[in-house]
Amino acid sequence: MAVAGRAWGWLRRNALPIYAVLAVAYMLIPIVIIAVFSLGATPKGKLTFGLNGGFTTEYWTSAFSLPELNDALFTSLRLAAFSTLISTAIGTAMAIALVRHSFHGRRLANLLIVIPMATPEVVIGASLLSMFIYYSFALGFSTLLIAHVMFSISFVVIVVRSRLIGFDRNLEEAAADLGATPVTTFRTVTLPLLTPGIVAAALLAFALSIDDFVISNFNSGTTVTFPLYVYGVSLRGIPVQVNALATMLFIVAALAAALVLWQQRRAERMTAVRPEPVTTT
Amino acid sequence: MVGGRVKTLVLAVATLAVAMGLAACGDGTVGGGREGEITTAKAGNVTGKLTISTWPGYIDPGKEGTVKEFEKETGVKVDYIEDVNENEGFFGKLQPQLEQGQSGGRSIFVVTDWMAKQMYDLGYLQEINHDDLPTVFENLLPSLQSPAFDPERKFSVPWQSGMGGIWVDTAKAPRIKSVNDLFDPKYKGKVTMLAELRETVPLVMLAEGIDPVEASNEDWLNAIERIKAASDSGQIRRFTGNDYNEDLNAGNIVAAIGWSGDASIIENENAEWRMPTEGCSLWSDNMVIPVGAPNTAAALGWMDFAYQPEVAVDITEYVEYISPVEGVKELLEGRGSELAESQLTFPTEQFTRNCTDQDSPPDLEPVNEAWQEVITG
Amino acid sequence: MSLRQRLVPYGLLGPGLLWLVLFFVVPMYFMGELALRSGTLTTGYSFDWAWSNFPDSLSGHTEQIGRSFFYAGTATVLCLLISYPLAYAIAFRAGRYRTLLLFAVIAPFFTTYLIRTIAWKTILSDSSPVVSVLQTLSLVPPGGRVLATSGAVIAGLTYNFLPFMILPLYANLERLDLRLIEAAKDLYSSSRQAFLRVTLPLTMPGIVAGILLTFIPAFGDYINAQLLGGTQQAMVGNVIQSLYLNQRDYPEAAALSFLMMALILVIVLAYIRVAGTGAFMESEEETS
Repeated sequence: MAVAGRAWGWLRRNALPIYAVLAVAYMLIPIVIIAVFSLGATPKGKLTFGLNGGFTTEYWTSAFSLPELNDALFTSLRLAAFSTLISTAIGTAMAIALVRHSFHGRRLANLLIVIPMATPEVVIGASLLSMFIYYSFALGFSTLLIAHVMFSISFVVIVVRSRLIGFDRNLEEAAADLGATPVTTFRTVTLPLLTPGIVAAALLAFALSIDDFVISNFNSGTTVTFPLYVYGVSLRGIPVQVNALATMLFIVAALAAALVLWQQRRAERMTAVRPEPVTTT
Repeated sequence: MVGGRVKTLVLAVATLAVAMGLAACGDGTVGGGREGEITTAKAGNVTGKLTISTWPGYIDPGKEGTVKEFEKETGVKVDYIEDVNENEGFFGKLQPQLEQGQSGGRSIFVVTDWMAKQMYDLGYLQEINHDDLPTVFENLLPSLQSPAFDPERKFSVPWQSGMGGIWVDTAKAPRIKSVNDLFDPKYKGKVTMLAELRETVPLVMLAEGIDPVEASNEDWLNAIERIKAASDSGQIRRFTGNDYNEDLNAGNIVAAIGWSGDASIIENENAEWRMPTEGCSLWSDNMVIPVGAPNTAAALGWMDFAYQPEVAVDITEYVEYISPVEGVKELLEGRGSELAESQLTFPTEQFTRNCTDQDSPPDLEPVNEAWQEVITG
Repeated sequence: MSLRQRLVPYGLLGPGLLWLVLFFVVPMYFMGELALRSGTLTTGYSFDWAWSNFPDSLSGHTEQIGRSFFYAGTATVLCLLISYPLAYAIAFRAGRYRTLLLFAVIAPFFTTYLIRTIAWKTILSDSSPVVSVLQTLSLVPPGGRVLATSGAVIAGLTYNFLPFMILPLYANLERLDLRLIEAAKDLYSSSRQAFLRVTLPLTMPGIVAGILLTFIPAFGDYINAQLLGGTQQAMVGNVIQSLYLNQRDYPEAAALSFLMMALILVIVLAYIRVAGTGAFMESEEETS
C-alpha cells in the first residue's frame, strides 16, 4: 500500500513533465507518419500511406531526382531566409520603439500592426495581386518576398513586444550606473537578454514563410514554392520523394533551431540572467 | 487625450489620402474583357525559353521524357509548370494579368474546352495560324477537328482527351453502374462527386434522361437541387478536385465521379473506371496561347513537336488518356501495350455513343451561384 | 529631449510602417474600392457606390460565418488548454531539456502545412487504427467516421495553430519571476491561489497575444476545412476563395472580406479594453 501511495505521489508531482512529454509527442505524430511513409515502397511511386509494399530507401536516395521539386524547395528556402532577415530586423525595431519610447501616433501604429493579422490570408493575397497588376509589376520572387515580409512583420512585433513588456530595467539601470553609455548598455545588456525573444520571433517568421500557401498562390507568377508544388501534386498523387524531402527539411531545421537555442542558453547562463532563489536567513 | 485622438485621426486620414493618391496612378477599369485586337501568334525561330502551365501528371517525366526530348532537339529551355489544378482556380489566379494583356510569363496554357472558349471570348488568347502547325493539322484526329466550342480550331490545339464517369471500388460496391446509383442510401457517406460544375451536373442530367447540350437553365437548376439534397443529407461525402483518388486509395469511399485516365495514380487495385449506363462526359484539354506570351515561336514549335506520333505515344503510355494524334494506336500495338486495346485510351464510337460534350448552361450566372452554394456548404 | 532623441522612435518605426502602408493599406484600399463595384467579368465591374454589397454578402453566408466562429473559437480554447501547461512545463520544469522541448515544439512547422494536414487526413481516414480505437472508446459512433466532420476540422485547426499559442505563452512565462510565487507562498497562499492570483495575471499579456495569434488566422483558414471537412464544413475562408476564384464575383468577395476584417477588429479592440490596457498596448510594466 505504501508503494502505491508513493507511486501516486510521484505521479502527482511529475504530472506536469509527463503531460509535457505527451503533448510534444502529439505534436510530433504527423512528422513521424511523414517520415515512416517516406520509407514505404509503392508500386507507382506515389504516396499511399500504406505499408503493404515493404520498406525501401529508394525515395531517400532519389530524393533530389525531381527537378521541379528541387527548384521549388530551393526557392522556398531562399525566400524564407530573406523574408526572415528583413522582417525580424524591421519588426524588432518597431517593437523597441513601441515599448520603450513615447511618441505621437502610437495608437495608429499599434492598429496598423494588428490589422494585417486580422485579415484572412485570402484577402491579403488577392488584394496584393490586384495592386501589383494595377501597376503592371511583374509577379515573381520579388512580389513573393514583399508579401512574405509584410505578413511576418506583425508577428515579429508581437513576440518581441511580449518579451519586452516587463523586461527588468534594473539591469540596464545598473549598467548605466556603472558608467556604460546607452549604446553599450544596449549592446551588452539589453540585446543579449532580448535575444531569446528575437530568436523566437525569427523562427516564427521563417516558419510562416516556408509554410505559406494561400498568399503565395496569388502572388507567385511563375515562381513555384514548395507548398505550391505540394498542392499541385497532392491532387494527382504526391511523389514519395516529397515526404523524404519534408523529413529531411525537418531534420535540418530541427538541428539548426537546436543549435541556435543552445547558444542562447549558453549566453543566458553566462550573463546570469535568471535570478537565484532568495534564501531567507 | 483629445489632442492625441485628433492626431491619430489626422494621421489615419493622411494615410488614406496617400493610398488614394497612389491608386490614382493606375488604370481605372476592372473586368469587362480585354479591349484591343485579337492578335495571331507569330511563328519564327524556335529558340530561347518556353514556359508552359499545365495539369499535373500530364506528361511523361524525367530524363527520357518528352520535355527533355524537345529541349535536346531544339535547344529551347522549357519551364514546365504543373500549376493548373482546376480550370476555375487557375483562371482566377491569372485573370487580372490577362486583362492587362500579360500572361504571367507563360506562353502556353493547357485548359479544358469550355475554359478555352471563355478565355477567348474575353480576349485573353491569341489566334493560331494553321500554316504554322503542319504536323498538328496533319495528324489531328478527325473527330477533334471541328469541335463545337472552336469549330475552326482558331485558338486551341488538343493536348489530351478524356471521359468523365464513375470510379468504383469493385470489392465493396460491385453493383454501381450508373450515376443514379450514387444516390442510393446504401452508399451514404461513401460517395464523392467532382466540384467542377460542367463535370458533375451534366452527368446527373444524363442520368435523368436529359441531354445536357440541349438542357434549359431549369434543368440545370433542378439537377443541382437534387445534388444539394444529397449533399445536405450526408449522402455525398465531399466534392473533390483530382483528389478523389486519395479517398479511393484510403478506402474512405466506394465510388466517385472521376476521370478515365486516372488509373496511373489510383493505387487501389479493386478500383475500376466504369462508363455509366446512361453515358459519360467527353472533354479535351487544349493548348492555348495567351496574350502577351513571350515566346510564341517556341510555343508553336512545341505544339508541332507533340503531334509527332513517336512523341505522342510516349505521352500516352505514361498518362493513359486519349491521344489526339493519329497513329498512336498502331505504335502502341507495335509495342505490345495493353493500352492499345483499352476502351479508355482508344474508345470506339460504340463505347461513347451516349456520351455528351461538356457545355455551359444557357445562363451561367444563376446556375454558377446555385452550384457554388452547394459545394461550399 | 533633443531633436535627435525625439526622432529615434520614428526612425525605428519608419521602415516597418512604410512597408505596411504600401503593401497592406494601399491594397486594402483597392479591395474597398472593388467592393463598391457591381457587375460581372464579361460586362466589367463598374464603380457605382454599391453599398448593398456589404449586407448582401453577409446575409448570404451566415451559416459559414457562424461556423467559422465556432470552429476557430473551439480550436483556440483547446490550444490554450493544451499549450499553457506545456509552456509552463518547458519554462520551469524542463531543466536541461528545455531547449530540446522548445524546438520539438517549433520543428513540426518546418514541414509544409499541406503535408502535415494531409498526414492527419491519413491518420484519421476511415480504415485507420486510430479511428478504430476511437470507435471502441465510443468517442465515435460505430461505423461512423472522423474525416469529413466538424471534429476533424477543429482537430486540424487546433493542431496547426498550436505553436502560435505556445510561443507567445512561453516568451512571456519564461521571464516570470518565480520569487513572486515564493513570496505568495510565504504569505500562506496555497499553490492554487498563488497560480490564480500571481501567475495568471502576470502571464496575461502572453495569453492575450496567444489567443489573438491563434483565433484570427484560424478564423480565416480554409485549408483544414477543404482537406479534412466534408460538404457541411465550409468556413468563411472557403466562401471568399470560391467567390473570388470560382465565381469571380469580386465585389461580393471584397465586401465579405472587408466585413470580416471589421468584425475581427471590433472583437480584438473590445477584448483589449476588457482585459485591461496592460494586456496589449501598454508601454511599460508596473513592477519596479
